[in-house]
Amino acid sequence: MSIFVAVDQVDKAFDLKGGGQYIALKGIDLQIKKGEFVSLIGHSGCGKSTLLNMIAGLDLPTEGMVTLEGKRITRPGPDRMVVFQNYSLLPWRTVSENIALAVDAVMKDLPAGERRAIVERHIDMVGLRPHADKAPGMLSGGQKQRVAIARALATCPKLLLLDEPFGALDALTRGNLQEQLIQICEQNQVTAVMVTHDVDEAVLLSDRIVMLTNGPESKIGDILDVDIPRPRKRMEVVEHPSYYSLRSEMIYFLNQQKRIKQIRARKTANISRHGLEKVNLEIGFVPLTACAPLAVAKEKGFFVKHGLDEVNLVRETSWRGIVDGVTGGYLDAAQMPSGMPMWLTLGGHQNRPLPVVTALTMTRNGNAITLSKQFYDQGVRTLADFKRYLLASSHLRHTLGVVHPSSMHNMLLRYWLAAGGIDPDQDVDIKTIPPAQMVADLKAGSIDGYSVGEPWNIRAAAEGIGFTIATDLEIWLGHPGKVLGVRENWAAVYPNTHIALTKALLEACFYCSNPENAEEIRQILAQREYVSTDISYIQIDEPNNITCSLDHPMREYAHHQFYAESAINRPSRTEQIWIMTQLARWGETPFPRNWVEIVERICRVGVFSTAARELGLDISYIRQPIQLFDDTPFNTDDPIAYLNSLKIKRDFSVAEVILDQPRGMAA
Amino acid sequence: MTTVQRRSAIPTFDNSFISRLQKQLPELVPPAIAIAIFLVVWQLFSWTPGATLPGPIQVVQDTWILIFWPFYDRGGIDKGLFWQILASLQRVAISYSLAAIVGISLGILIGTNKIMSKALDPIFQLLRTVPPLAWVPISLAALRQNEPAALFVIFITAIWPILINTAVGVTQIPQDYNNVAKVLQLNKKEYFLNILIPAALPYIFTGLRIAIGLAWLAIIAAEIVMSGIVGIGFFIWNAYQNNAVSEVILALVYIGIVGLLLDKLMAWVQTLILPAEQK
Repeated sequence: MSIFVAVDQVDKAFDLKGGGQYIALKGIDLQIKKGEFVSLIGHSGCGKSTLLNMIAGLDLPTEGMVTLEGKRITRPGPDRMVVFQNYSLLPWRTVSENIALAVDAVMKDLPAGERRAIVERHIDMVGLRPHADKAPGMLSGGQKQRVAIARALATCPKLLLLDEPFGALDALTRGNLQEQLIQICEQNQVTAVMVTHDVDEAVLLSDRIVMLTNGPESKIGDILDVDIPRPRKRMEVVEHPSYYSLRSEMIYFLNQQKRIKQIRARKTANISRHGLEKVNLEIGFVPLTACAPLAVAKEKGFFVKHGLDEVNLVRETSWRGIVDGVTGGYLDAAQMPSGMPMWLTLGGHQNRPLPVVTALTMTRNGNAITLSKQFYDQGVRTLADFKRYLLASSHLRHTLGVVHPSSMHNMLLRYWLAAGGIDPDQDVDIKTIPPAQMVADLKAGSIDGYSVGEPWNIRAAAEGIGFTIATDLEIWLGHPGKVLGVRENWAAVYPNTHIALTKALLEACFYCSNPENAEEIRQILAQREYVSTDISYIQIDEPNNITCSLDHPMREYAHHQFYAESAINRPSRTEQIWIMTQLARWGETPFPRNWVEIVERICRVGVFSTAARELGLDISYIRQPIQLFDDTPFNTDDPIAYLNSLKIKRDFSVAEVILDQPRGMAA
Repeated sequence: MTTVQRRSAIPTFDNSFISRLQKQLPELVPPAIAIAIFLVVWQLFSWTPGATLPGPIQVVQDTWILIFWPFYDRGGIDKGLFWQILASLQRVAISYSLAAIVGISLGILIGTNKIMSKALDPIFQLLRTVPPLAWVPISLAALRQNEPAALFVIFITAIWPILINTAVGVTQIPQDYNNVAKVLQLNKKEYFLNILIPAALPYIFTGLRIAIGLAWLAIIAAEIVMSGIVGIGFFIWNAYQNNAVSEVILALVYIGIVGLLLDKLMAWVQTLILPAEQK
């Protein structure tokens, strides 16, 4: 299939009354192959209909061009027939006369008898034989739209353009017409572009879905490939595994666009106060027990105490939202998994390196690996048992969930599996799932286990659907959990704010480490704005309390460590290098040849030290090597040799990671 | 146990005319009563001392001959009311048709062509506001004879609603139909016949209906001013000069009836040409 329709760097600007311009579309690049069905989806006012009109030729682009089979489109024509949203049937002509108008206008050189035969055939194709001589005023909405479709197809167009064709119809009629359209498109090998609001319709009908961002200056946000095989039936297509992931992808995109619009609408000027450059901060977090320092800093007034008067904590459902917020610029700071600053810096997100720095490690530990109860029933208690079980059941695929490729949970899980001789990608499947969804998925049986922070492990154990096979105490005691991450350019512009933020959170960590405050913190976290779960699942205290009792084996709680001696809150270069090796080991990012430079840039020890000193906390520490459970030595001086020495790994690449734009030469 | 069926209180007749009349009774009774009351009030007013106008009974007594012999012809302008009205109607028919043709054509021209619209609009807006009577002197001065002048006055009065409504109708064609025409690449003739005219028809008919009423108004005024022609307008003026007020009143009633009938005629033509849901 070669390129049939090409939209080439198209811009569209409208002149406004009183001067000025409204740029509706900017830089739209799209290629459509012959026989493909493409949907355009986006919020109202994002320019979908404008783009469709330009493909039809009813409107011309201000920049760029649209070509059909290589020829530039300058005016509308019957080779690009349009089905309009409000039918556009001529009310003074009957159904057959409406279709005949099109056929007569386009196929002038055919004899009258043949033209009539075409009209009749198309009336039958859409099933309107009994209504052929009625005026449009006597037809229902669905019938009128069928006439419009018949009229469009009767001229055998090269391209069929549909502008929200089923938008004005009720659900039942819409379902019927969608099925008819699928059949017609398949039988006649029609190339079609459809504008729609309806996410399900897009998945049902299209081969590709193009998602447009919000106006002004809308761009193509993303293009999804629908891999559901044809012929598709409306009732059966929902059972295909990709259906819901495609659907949720689109809804996530549309929600993101809505949020961006709201943020743009709000006044986002920086408010400077108390000697800080910006006191109105948006800080993102994901609901986990580990978000305690943020919640405490907000509720107990530590932010305000250090001059940050207008901090807004933004609750994201998954780490993906945090990634989008940080890369999109509408989150100032976020609580991230400890591997995420490195992952973003090395270009893990869409291959675009974005330097993110960390000045504070907020939690350590607090992770565990949970497996489904069925493993327990089959006698799996340790890593060796698990390996034996996998060898025995090698015909089944087992899926394990993690929250994000850059999270410590993922790295620990993979390390743990690899140390036991299990290849994390060959012998099992690892899937990315938001933390709150993990318990539901485990219960439904779509995953066999997961590695995540608390309280989701204790919750599975308490509900009897899973058991904790390993806590981090058994893998790497004292591993970094969550860190504070801000963009490097943000830290450069707001240095004092960065220090104030670090101070506030460090003080909150100190507060969380005090066992007397544990009960209060649990109450705060159980609220709806934070973790929003039953308070019994949230444990802040030190280990050895009632949850880890002998009556319930394999139900251990992985406790968080918020603050302790030897400055556990410092950003550690040793740990970041280990993270770099693990990210490269599993092929997430390349290993940077300039790793020393990158580590130095990411770990803002200076900010941490300033903050700690201003709080009056003791920050002396001794650098120690990392101690993992299998005692493999990790040499920070030669990480590449360490990588080479590992037995189970993917092919990793070593590349120079350039973070800065090339600087212009002085004249 | 037998059930008793109640017979309907209103006796129904076999005669279909009377039964249809009975169905129409709710429509006919209120206006009939209103007319009766109006006549009574008028008669009462005419009996008050110092009344200048005759009451209905007086009118009928005086114009007895005119009512019952509308077809008489004693030559010159002394003709029965039927011939007077017919003469006026003939003038209306000629001028109105001319106004319709010219008005619709010019209306389409202005509606489709932006430049012509901008050019001609000020002229039209100015001329439109001139009342029919004010046209009489200039038309007499230009055309010198009564008949052509009367025709011109009707023409110039009737053309404006038709022209303006047609122009509006043409510009109000929904963008959807224009898009369909563009996509199908219809040529000018196909576009006019299939889309422009049918879409503008309701507006054109509105213009035509307004214009017929105005044309009838104009002819009466014109005929009053132009003396010595057969026509209902001059009949009124002549009767006034002879102080035959009853004849004037009778003529008024006839004029009103004819105007009403003309409007009903146009409405009926409209139902023939326009499909039901387009009205």
